[in-house]
Amino acid sequence: MGEHDGVHSSERRACADAPSFVGVRVRSTRVLDEMRRVPGHGRPLPPYDRARAPEYKDRALIAVSHLIKRYGAAMAVDDVSFEVGRGEVVGFLGPNGAGKSTTLRILAGFLGPTSGKVTIAGHDVVDEPFEARRSVGYMPEGVPLYPEMRVVEYLRFRAELKRVPRAIRRTNVEEAMRKAGVVEVATKRIGHLSKGYRQRVGLADAIVAKPPIVVLDEPTAGLDPNQIREARALVRELGRDHTVVLSTHILGEVETCATRVLLLHRGKLVAEGPTDRIRAMRKEAAVELTLRGEARAAETVLAAVEAVAQVSRLQSADGACRIRLTFAPALPIDERARATERCVAALVGADIGVREVRAAGGSLEDVFAALTASGSPSEEPEA
Amino acid sequence: MRGFWPILKRELFAFFVTPLAWVLIVSFLVVQGMHFFLLVDHFAREADVTGDETPLSAFFGNTVLLYLVLFVLVPPMTMRLFAEERRSGTIETLMTAPVSNAAVVLAKYAAALITYVAMWIPTVLYLVILARTGDLDWRAAMSAYLGVLLVGAGYLAVGLCASALTRSQFLAMVWTALVLLVLFILGIGEFVTRDGTLMHEVCTHVSVWSHMNDFASGVVDSRRLVFYGTLVVLPLFIATRAVDAWRWG
Repeated sequence: MGEHDGVHSSERRACADAPSFVGVRVRSTRVLDEMRRVPGHGRPLPPYDRARAPEYKDRALIAVSHLIKRYGAAMAVDDVSFEVGRGEVVGFLGPNGAGKSTTLRILAGFLGPTSGKVTIAGHDVVDEPFEARRSVGYMPEGVPLYPEMRVVEYLRFRAELKRVPRAIRRTNVEEAMRKAGVVEVATKRIGHLSKGYRQRVGLADAIVAKPPIVVLDEPTAGLDPNQIREARALVRELGRDHTVVLSTHILGEVETCATRVLLLHRGKLVAEGPTDRIRAMRKEAAVELTLRGEARAAETVLAAVEAVAQVSRLQSADGACRIRLTFAPALPIDERARATERCVAALVGADIGVREVRAAGGSLEDVFAALTASGSPSEEPEA
Repeated sequence: MRGFWPILKRELFAFFVTPLAWVLIVSFLVVQGMHFFLLVDHFAREADVTGDETPLSAFFGNTVLLYLVLFVLVPPMTMRLFAEERRSGTIETLMTAPVSNAAVVLAKYAAALITYVAMWIPTVLYLVILARTGDLDWRAAMSAYLGVLLVGAGYLAVGLCASALTRSQFLAMVWTALVLLVLFILGIGEFVTRDGTLMHEVCTHVSVWSHMNDFASGVVDSRRLVFYGTLVVLPLFIATRAVDAWRWG
């Protein structure tokens, strides 16, 4: 109550201090009133900006808690919880059928959750579906488009559908086409475009309404290596202006695009962590060998083989030993198999019997195992 | 009605940019033109024996040609509305835009209905020809066109509903044709069931044949309006529920 009184007295004082000219005085007290409405600040509020609205200013842009999606008896997503903050590029990684697409479809508002709470930019997808959908630009798997439409027609239609005001529709479409690199095919029919260009049209559609969040389901599926490189570069580019959520079953893809990785397996979130950790794990990609003979001899032989960075002894029993060899981090994945062959050939040439060769690290499964083994996901540092 | 206008525009575009709509309209006009020619020829030769029939009432009523044409035209017009989008996956981009289910259903329906009306508009020329060579009851003509609109509206709603219930365009077409055929045959039952029985009442109520005869001779019966209102609203309602079910299935 004392505070209240204080406000009143200061208001009176403000009125008294204000110039005696009636219009000015009234205006100046109103300004003071407005200043006082901001708790703890002497300055008036900046113009209202949805993106800075206090209800989710400091919270995650996407908040998912205990999400469950069932198709009949089948459990597609099983009690998944995660958050995505502003500016993150998050990759969903997992084998086919892990529930990646289902999760992204729920985020995009195509499917409704069986249970659990999903909040997009502060809007619950069940209670405020239109607001939630307006905050997301979504590119489904396989990039479905209308083949009979021209690129610019399609994007104008999509912009109108997403309620982009008429006044800025044209500039939004032009900007989206420029960002996605489809300006040169703007007047071509979508059905006549190459797969790579169709992918770009899908990306242009996702960003045409300038949503805070962009959701991309398998953005590089079905592209050739050059197109994949271009698509990844585009996704990285998108990450500058948007929060991006993408899915893939290719480990290398999240490495190049995402700042954080969520691993899904059979509908469950099995692990999450920053991409750096995954990359580090991959760099250690190694091969484990079980050999007949003495470990020291084997070590000498292996160390001489090109591309082998490190040889370490794991255990030795009578007559047999296990050795782990690590390749140089710069060695491409497909070269590693050949290097392994050379190692085996060298061992056999030195009359050391090779009983087992096993890849250790590098594969999705190994990263899976490594990440699952390491403590609780919440302890992971943010990327 | 979020998203109604853009979807309506796109659907109309999709109808008329592909050859389908043009093929349908041309074949429709060829059949109707021949029908009209034969009628006029018949009336010109046997003007004294035709009684109270006029070329107008014979063009719209008492003829199997109207339904035959609709059986052939309506299923291909409506089969792609939802089934194609679900098959190609574009339904995902459509439904993740801020649009309401009802707006999607109504926009697609409106596009089909507009195409249907566009198909019939050139036939007004026939009436102009008739009016130039003799007397024409324009009020009866308007009633006949109201009948045509109602029958078409009901059939298109059935077709849209079938398209929303299956992923396959072919199945949507077959289902639509089947439902329309059953409806027609049930109506024909009017002539084979005994007067006064419940079956006869039911058959008379759904008989497109006698509905069109009434409309063609200028009789607008409120029972017909209720019947076709139901035939439009019920399938559209089911389709809206079906669209909703994809989200929660």
